[in-house]
Amino acid sequence: MLGLDQFIAELNKSISMFLPETALVIAFLVALLLDLMFKKSKNLTGYTALIGFLVTGYFLFKQMNMQSTAFSNMFVIDQFGIFMKWVILLSSIGVVLISFFTNELYEKAKGVGEYFTLIIGMAFGMFLLVGSSNLIIIYLAIETMSLSSYVLAGYTKEVKRASEASLKYVIFGAVSSGIMIYGISILFGLTGSLNLFEINRFLAANPVNNFALFLSVIMILSGFGYKISAVPFHFWTPDVYEGAPVPITAYLSVASKAAGFAILLRFFKVTFLDSVPGNDSVWTLLGSIDWHFVIAILAVLSMTLGNLVALWQTNVKRILAYSSIAHAGYMLMAVSTMDDAGVASVLIYFFMYMVMNLGAFYVVALIANNIGSEEIDDYNGLGYRAPILGICMTLFLISLTGLPPTAGFIGKLYVFSAVVKAGYIWLAVVGVINSVISLFYYVKIFRNMYLNDVDSNKSKLTYSPASIVLLFVFAIPTLYLGIFFNDIVKWASYSANIFMGK
Amino acid sequence: MLSDFGVILLFFIIGFIFVGVGLVAAAFIRPSHPNPIKNSTYECGEIPIGGPWIRFNIRFYVIALVFLLFDVEVVFLLPWALVFKQLGWFAFIEMIVFVVILVMGLAYVWGKGDIDWEKPKPYIPSIDDLVVGKKK
Repeated sequence: MLGLDQFIAELNKSISMFLPETALVIAFLVALLLDLMFKKSKNLTGYTALIGFLVTGYFLFKQMNMQSTAFSNMFVIDQFGIFMKWVILLSSIGVVLISFFTNELYEKAKGVGEYFTLIIGMAFGMFLLVGSSNLIIIYLAIETMSLSSYVLAGYTKEVKRASEASLKYVIFGAVSSGIMIYGISILFGLTGSLNLFEINRFLAANPVNNFALFLSVIMILSGFGYKISAVPFHFWTPDVYEGAPVPITAYLSVASKAAGFAILLRFFKVTFLDSVPGNDSVWTLLGSIDWHFVIAILAVLSMTLGNLVALWQTNVKRILAYSSIAHAGYMLMAVSTMDDAGVASVLIYFFMYMVMNLGAFYVVALIANNIGSEEIDDYNGLGYRAPILGICMTLFLISLTGLPPTAGFIGKLYVFSAVVKAGYIWLAVVGVINSVISLFYYVKIFRNMYLNDVDSNKSKLTYSPASIVLLFVFAIPTLYLGIFFNDIVKWASYSANIFMGK
Repeated sequence: MLSDFGVILLFFIIGFIFVGVGLVAAAFIRPSHPNPIKNSTYECGEIPIGGPWIRFNIRFYVIALVFLLFDVEVVFLLPWALVFKQLGWFAFIEMIVFVVILVMGLAYVWGKGDIDWEKPKPYIPSIDDLVVGKKK
């Protein structure tokens, strides 16, 4: 045990490493207060959130090369976490900006003050989750982000399907976090510690019952799987994505997933890595359970189910929901390789996925502003009624399919090459076949936009110049990163090294 | 030898036996003269009205949540107060921050009007209600 003085010294040191999260908490409190004081103002908390995110970004930038633990090993700061935090932060800023242009939020009588406050709260939960190395902190962080997201999913509570989405999300969330904490308790019972580093040391030194270990990890996986919406923990995804306001759907599909993948990777590496001195870019895992295979099964299920079910959907938000399940599958494929190249490819994929997915959802939001619908049949002829939206949507969809010269292609390229390099040819084949299937339903959207209802004389859609500027903020990187991807790749491979404690 | 968990199991078993033996012994020894008053639910000396399976007003939950906020605060304040002298200013400021955050929670609930106890307005019948066929 630490003495009191040492403890306070440790605490002081930790707080200086906790600055990005502290900035988020302060932004949250300020937004709360401003919302109380200025009830009339429309977007005040939104601007507070943006400023808060920028300050967080500043502190995050200053942490770029740090590698350390804080709060008695409960919290880790490493390059891997910082990369994921950037993804979360950038997508938070993107979502706040998208929200400004989403009419369905402003039709609500209660105003959007609490909405932006809750987004900051959710971002805080995700920051905590990305950096945690203690099972209890992991659980608390998941709950922090979940509680905010439950409310956000049902924020337009006058809309029936939003309330339905929120309720389904709460129920599935409660069940999966219940299962997860049961798994945590079994793992604690087996190893006598909640700290991932100590669990790793215990597993390296002592043999444990394989069945109990397998059961507990599968249970914990159900909590992570729920966050990344991997099959078979995906049942909430389509309904919640369809019912929630579009910016929140985008947020859930990018940031929430990034946090889930971050903790999944950290959990597997820190808990099961056999830390023999030398080269650990290919992880040697402890114990005799084949975790590669477990994750590979999840990946195959997610990809196949996501893509096959997406074929039959008629609502664009539902198509994107199933496509996000499929994308979780592609990334799980890279996780299943369990080496640093795999981690790097997940990071690259996430950066690309963030840009293109936020963009696609933003177009959906802009179209819904005008025609009040997300049904694919209502998209007929939109390519001519709204040329800019049509072109950008096509770009995002091509990128989501993974065709060159877009960002999505680079993401997929690195994922597949990591999988092939690790020797899982069969898995890569399944992934490629799935990409081909996915082309069908993505093409269906822009076929409707350009080939159906060509000479309709319906009015053109209206949108403000500012909203088009924001659209280009997503569209240009989608194209740019497809061609000049070297910096992201370098940064990701530098960040792939997950910190293993002292 | 018992493991740590074995001791807990033993504790449970002994607990159940202890309670069970007491109840069974009491059932043999005590006199049994049931009557309606003795069998009724005790409610602070009042005669209970209606069934217990009613819906509670949702506002109780808000009050309970706010209560919990400050209940937890006290749990943290007690150990803090015990070692306060050794910890010094650092802990003082830290606790102030903690309390301020909690107070903001209260201010928020208050400002949003969630702890206002709005009474339902009673409907006072007027003579018009008695007129047959007239719609309100």
